[in-house]
Amino acid sequence: MSELHLVLPAAPENVVVARQAITGLCEGLGFPSRATDDVRLAVTEACTNVVVHAYAADTAAAQLEVEANAVDQDLHITVRDQGRGMGVFTGAAGLGLGLPLIAALTRAVEMRAGPGGVGTEIAMTFSKDDADGDDADGRA
Amino acid sequence: MSAEPIILDRRDGVAVVRVHGEHDVFTAPALREQVHAAIEQSAPLVIDLSGATFIDSSVLAVLLGGLRRAREADLGYTLILPGDEGAPVRRIFEVTGLVPVFAIQATEPEAVAAASAGVNA
Repeated sequence: MSELHLVLPAAPENVVVARQAITGLCEGLGFPSRATDDVRLAVTEACTNVVVHAYAADTAAAQLEVEANAVDQDLHITVRDQGRGMGVFTGAAGLGLGLPLIAALTRAVEMRAGPGGVGTEIAMTFSKDDADGDDADGRA
Repeated sequence: MSAEPIILDRRDGVAVVRVHGEHDVFTAPALREQVHAAIEQSAPLVIDLSGATFIDSSVLAVLLGGLRRAREADLGYTLILPGDEGAPVRRIFEVTGLVPVFAIQATEPEAVAAASAGVNA
């Protein structure tokens, strides 16, 4: 069973909704704040890819789906769309930084076709242990 | 459209754009508008990120676009970024290797003085 499963309209204003939900999940799981920061940024970039690139502008009912599962020290987060498929992702805002950022912030990442070959999903793995310099000071 | 404030201020003939809170693909257009407006008015520009708690690559794109325009117009362009290594907003500059690309200052007086002097690199 998922720790978190969100299905939202794929709109810019909903990226923050996904980010806040993931932040709450990380805090609930006891992730150090620096590890949480990396999860927040990577999930934001993945959601932005969906919002900006996954769908043609006139697509009705474009969806942004975020699913998270915690297994031991790891947190697996999949960001999924039902859009045009792979090959259209060029990174947030055309800089091409989105996917390299995700790769740099995750323990593992895989971009693949979604279930049934529909759309694309980015599957990211984070670990509580991945924070650079644990911060027991509780910095928010 | 921005839920988090982006405030335009003036200090000694320098435009200071103060960015507070969290910013991403939703609010980046509002920031771009402020940055471009200041540059079109031929004002040296400081972007104060000391009150920001989160930015993503959409915001980085705006900052880089502003830098390019400022250099083309030969205008000062500096950022205020707290020096705490690994802090959330600084982290994206570190991960992307963009720290040396911008003229980054720790305080507003330094950033305003540098922008006023035409520093943009």
